[in-house]
Amino acid sequence: MKRATLVQVAAILLIVSFTANVGQAINDDFSSVVKMIEQYYNVKHEGLSFLAKAAMKAVGTGAKIKGGTARQLAEAGSIRLATFEDQDFNGDFLKFRSSLNDSLKDTWTPLVQTISSENAEQSYIFVREKGDKFSVLIVMIEKREGTVVQATVSAKSLALLMKDPEEGAKTIREEATIVDNE
Amino acid sequence: MKSLFQQPPGTLLLVAFMVMASAFTTQAQGPRIQLGNLDHLATKASDTVDVTIDERLIQLAAKVFNEKDDDEAQIKKLVQGLKGIYVRSFEFDVDNAYAATDVDSIRAQLREPAWMRILNVTSKKEGNVEVYLSMNGPDITGLAVLSVEPRELTIVNIVGPVDLEKLTKLEGNLGIPDLGVEAPKKRKNEQ
Repeated sequence: MKRATLVQVAAILLIVSFTANVGQAINDDFSSVVKMIEQYYNVKHEGLSFLAKAAMKAVGTGAKIKGGTARQLAEAGSIRLATFEDQDFNGDFLKFRSSLNDSLKDTWTPLVQTISSENAEQSYIFVREKGDKFSVLIVMIEKREGTVVQATVSAKSLALLMKDPEEGAKTIREEATIVDNE
Repeated sequence: MKSLFQQPPGTLLLVAFMVMASAFTTQAQGPRIQLGNLDHLATKASDTVDVTIDERLIQLAAKVFNEKDDDEAQIKKLVQGLKGIYVRSFEFDVDNAYAATDVDSIRAQLREPAWMRILNVTSKKEGNVEVYLSMNGPDITGLAVLSVEPRELTIVNIVGPVDLEKLTKLEGNLGIPDLGVEAPKKRKNEQ
């Protein structure tokens, strides 16, 4: 094979590989949910300048999922977080819940979903297996802010969440509020 | 006589619709009760909680609950064989914010012979608590609890082999609220 052809093949393989990775990143559920929230509520999630606060929020939320051991969760090494700050979340929450559930039904299992119409708060927790660990996808929406967290948790953490899912959802929501107020 | 495929498209559509309707009716008669018709109450309720622990999550629970932890070991044993736990709870700021037809839409699914209402169940809380068992011959295939209070409506549906004693042990775990349901006391010769 000529050298030019080899270079061409290598270039094509590189492009295909790059496209596949980009495609995976764009089409994953976390990104889809963030995009869905943006489209449904006409809001935008925070950029890099808010990363520090976002990381802080992720650790706080993670700590609650872990029952107070954020360090172990951080070691799991896969927290993804998107926050929406100071924006209006006006919309039919029943339609939003339906759209969210439809978009995740094939890949995630819903565990607990709470709606507080009085405070315009919604929280959703989805779980799925990921090898010997588990992934948790949490969506929280309030009047003026929203949070999407995807984290890998251990069996022990998931057991805690499953034992009392309603309290787990409330704790996660309260923790997010506490961090916001700090 | 014309065969089915020689019928006009409208007739075929009608037949297809009837087959689908029949399938949905059959589904509704199983131990899993349909709670979707209560969705609209979320707009009236101050708080809505929807817990879904389906068969996949129950299998997951069997993996994640630790045998060495007494509490978790007991839950693990209790959920063995279950196919689903579904809880829907609505809290309201005012009395009677939901309609009687909302409750009736649930009761309509809990009729004999598929379901049997258990009598002599006492509630520590105010309001009315109804407990139903889904039976297949001598086997219990599901349980439903309907707790109706002026400001709260809660439905618990457990699919699989479950009895009242198991329910009382599961109360407070896996999203099942403390309904104040007491298991019937065993007679002396049963102990």
